[in-house]
Amino acid sequence: MTTSPGARAHLTPDAVDALLRDTSPWLSCEDCFERMDTYVEALVADPAYEDRAMAAHLRGCPACAEEAEALVDLVTGDLG
Amino acid sequence: MGTVNRDDPLPVAVQTVPAATARRRGEPDDWVVTLTTPGPARDAALRRLHDLMVRAAASQVWRMRGALPDPSAHTVEDLANQAADDAMTALLGKLESFEGRSRFTTWAFKFAVLQAATEVRRVQWQHREVELRDLEVEAPAHEGPDHAAEARDLASAVELAMRTVLTPHQRRIAVALLVDGVPIDVLADRLGSTRGALYKTVHDVRVRLRAELVATGHLDATPSSPSPSSSAGPS
Repeated sequence: MTTSPGARAHLTPDAVDALLRDTSPWLSCEDCFERMDTYVEALVADPAYEDRAMAAHLRGCPACAEEAEALVDLVTGDLG
Repeated sequence: MGTVNRDDPLPVAVQTVPAATARRRGEPDDWVVTLTTPGPARDAALRRLHDLMVRAAASQVWRMRGALPDPSAHTVEDLANQAADDAMTALLGKLESFEGRSRFTTWAFKFAVLQAATEVRRVQWQHREVELRDLEVEAPAHEGPDHAAEARDLASAVELAMRTVLTPHQRRIAVALLVDGVPIDVLADRLGSTRGALYKTVHDVRVRLRAELVATGHLDATPSSPSPSSSAGPS
């Protein structure tokens, strides 16, 4: 792990989009994990189901989003 | 990063099984009661649960195998088994918190998915240096006169906002996660922090940047935009 005071960075359009993504209302990763099973089941039962806080969190947290997508696949697949 | 051969056979743990025979065969009516009552039924339930966790973890590792230096079936199975064991430990430690608001298997799978995904990201980055650097922005790539000018203007506004409304710590975390693409749990591990703590930092960064860009007219205010009062200056 190193810390650099002035390394050059590129603000690509993707980086700008990521920096400005609207992730309100606030939801923590811990609360996202707590809700993920019920959220995924509700979403599978009704694709129009909305949970604003979950949706905002999944927009802003690629790790949680990947795991939620994977859980949807598991629930709708042979293991579900 | 290893290449993925789409023709590779699925590891045994990921291969699909006939749904009618696999679906909840041998599963207890009440997982929590069965898993907390000593006896042969508990032992059978533990074996069944472990089998499900291995399959869920294998499915997750297989999904992300393109990120692995060695995406072979053997590596996938090794990572899946390790992740399943760790997920079982985590799940059993939180068994009393299961409230039945979802199916037990859905609740259990999320532990396997989390553990497997975290393990894949750890292996992906295990030999890579993670640099915490402050911001020094170069002009964005040229993409055509009008688009480039607009992109440069917005990128410049974001850069200025990062310098004026963020702390050095917030800038370094934001650059690592949102510019350099370091996975959040990898960065958390290297910093001795948590995914949740880093996500809170990123959320605060976004709130402050959005508020600043709304104030400077670079971003439209929307109903879900942060209120001015929620974006204090650097602490």
